[in-house]
Amino acid sequence: MTERVGFSVARVGTIAANTFTESLRQKVFNILLIFALVVIASASFFAEFAFEEDVAVVASYQLKSIKDTCFGALSVIGMLIAIVGTAMLLPNELENRTIYTILSKPVRRLEFLLGKYLGTVLLTFVSVVLMSVMFLAVLTFKEARLSQPAKAVVEQTESPVEKQKAQEQVAKIRAEAFDPAIVKGILLVFVKLCLLAAITLLVSTFSTSMVFNVAVALLVFFAGHLVGLAKEAWQAQPLLVYLLGIIPNLDLFNVADDIILGNFVPWAHVGKVTGYGLVYLSGVLAAAHFIFSNREI
Amino acid sequence: MDAIRTENLTKKYNLGWRKGRFLALEKLNLRIPEGEVYGLLGPNGSGKSTTLKCILDLITPTEGAAWIFGVPATKVESRLHVGFLPENPYFYRYLTGGETLEFYGQLCGIRGAALHRRIEELIELVGLAKARDRRLAGYSKGMLQRIGLAQALIHDPRLLLLDEPTAGVDPIGSRDIRDLILRLKQMGKTVLLSSHLLAQVQDVCDRIGVLNLGQMILEGDVDQLISDQRRLSFTVEGLPAGGRGQIEQAAQAAGAKVVGVEHPQTTLETLFLDAVRQDKRGAGEHD
Repeated sequence: MTERVGFSVARVGTIAANTFTESLRQKVFNILLIFALVVIASASFFAEFAFEEDVAVVASYQLKSIKDTCFGALSVIGMLIAIVGTAMLLPNELENRTIYTILSKPVRRLEFLLGKYLGTVLLTFVSVVLMSVMFLAVLTFKEARLSQPAKAVVEQTESPVEKQKAQEQVAKIRAEAFDPAIVKGILLVFVKLCLLAAITLLVSTFSTSMVFNVAVALLVFFAGHLVGLAKEAWQAQPLLVYLLGIIPNLDLFNVADDIILGNFVPWAHVGKVTGYGLVYLSGVLAAAHFIFSNREI
Repeated sequence: MDAIRTENLTKKYNLGWRKGRFLALEKLNLRIPEGEVYGLLGPNGSGKSTTLKCILDLITPTEGAAWIFGVPATKVESRLHVGFLPENPYFYRYLTGGETLEFYGQLCGIRGAALHRRIEELIELVGLAKARDRRLAGYSKGMLQRIGLAQALIHDPRLLLLDEPTAGVDPIGSRDIRDLILRLKQMGKTVLLSSHLLAQVQDVCDRIGVLNLGQMILEGDVDQLISDQRRLSFTVEGLPAGGRGQIEQAAQAAGAKVVGVEHPQTTLETLFLDAVRQDKRGAGEHD
């Protein structure tokens, strides 16, 4: 009687941990992450160039500028880490022939593919967390600096009117700096990066060139941000709009502009977009599995 | 039970649009009983690697099928007791030797103290104790081949598939790998060795098969295949002057003909190994 080998979460975890360790030890990832952290840290410096006199207006402008830069760095550097990290996975496995040593053991191709994908997702998650911590540190630093004059007024003034006005300024700066909606923005950036990683993995299941994988993923990234506009422009042609549905609408994940402007972003919207991302991502992974299962190695 | 069995195993590769198909392997019928060391010989492009890949389900045969210990090769269960060393492996450059074995051990479901014990055993067996904590990026070709052998053996498989295990390895490393295969044979393991190094195959294999242009053109017991039943050779020591003439006369008297007389030669491999071993300067551990 032959022993049965079922799907193993432990094997997926082993491959994911190995992929994560490998990526973490590569210079390209470290350089990208350090660059992102420097950009986020310097956001505070760039935000200094504000030519207003009103303290509250200057504070609001500077905080918006910081959030804009930090969300931009999260999105762009995160995108590069997710795409480049995933694009090199299968070509490297084939070039180094490690894929032979893994698949010649009792490992299912689905376990291998999922392990590789989750390893990159973990890498992306760690990058996003590190960038977010730096983002928060910059906001904390800036909030303390911007609210310092108002806090001094609160401590020194005898006038209750001035004191109340200063207290309101401190509260306003604090509220704007530590807007909980930032978490929603970061969460959607992460889901978008996971989706981009899945698309890159799908491309690499039928291509052997890392450059091709990156190029196609970048194309999807740009097309994904324009597809919403294209659908609006071609509303009169339902077939075209239907076909455009194949391309993921990445603009949906961009709530950063609303957050920066202080517009309310409901959790229901975040949930809906996350759901859209997860469904799309699952479809992409299923397609990747179908192609990879039949691929000659 | 056969460790490996193939029936009419055929593989045709698509060469691309309008270029037709390339026949890499044609109707291969292979039976390797458990405990045998089998040498698959053939020039480059003869179909050796294709055979191994079909057996491991890395590629799908165009026709025919393969079984490992009676389990169809298409099932993941067929690989439960198989260790594979591909040709020229590189592995994960950023992992150390120890981490590499830990990874492969975990893939095979070995964990905890049992895994660490097994890693220690294998590191010793392949002679990489001093390089255990070094990243593979700094390993030489021979060391990579050794770590490759260790990963193939991590789960103590009953069957080993070795694709050119000594390719690019120096003669000492090559001899070590040969000795290791002989040790595995003594342990009752089945080994399928793909190589074009004929002397090495002759030393370790019970049976060989020769592939050429995708077809098995010769197969059989090594000793039977290489012995010339029509001739006998004597190696004589301490022959006095004139002794040679007497032997030749005796042969003629018996109706035989002496077709060659020569001094026995050592092999270049033995000469090389003896010279290196006798050099006592001791440059340190070789790779």
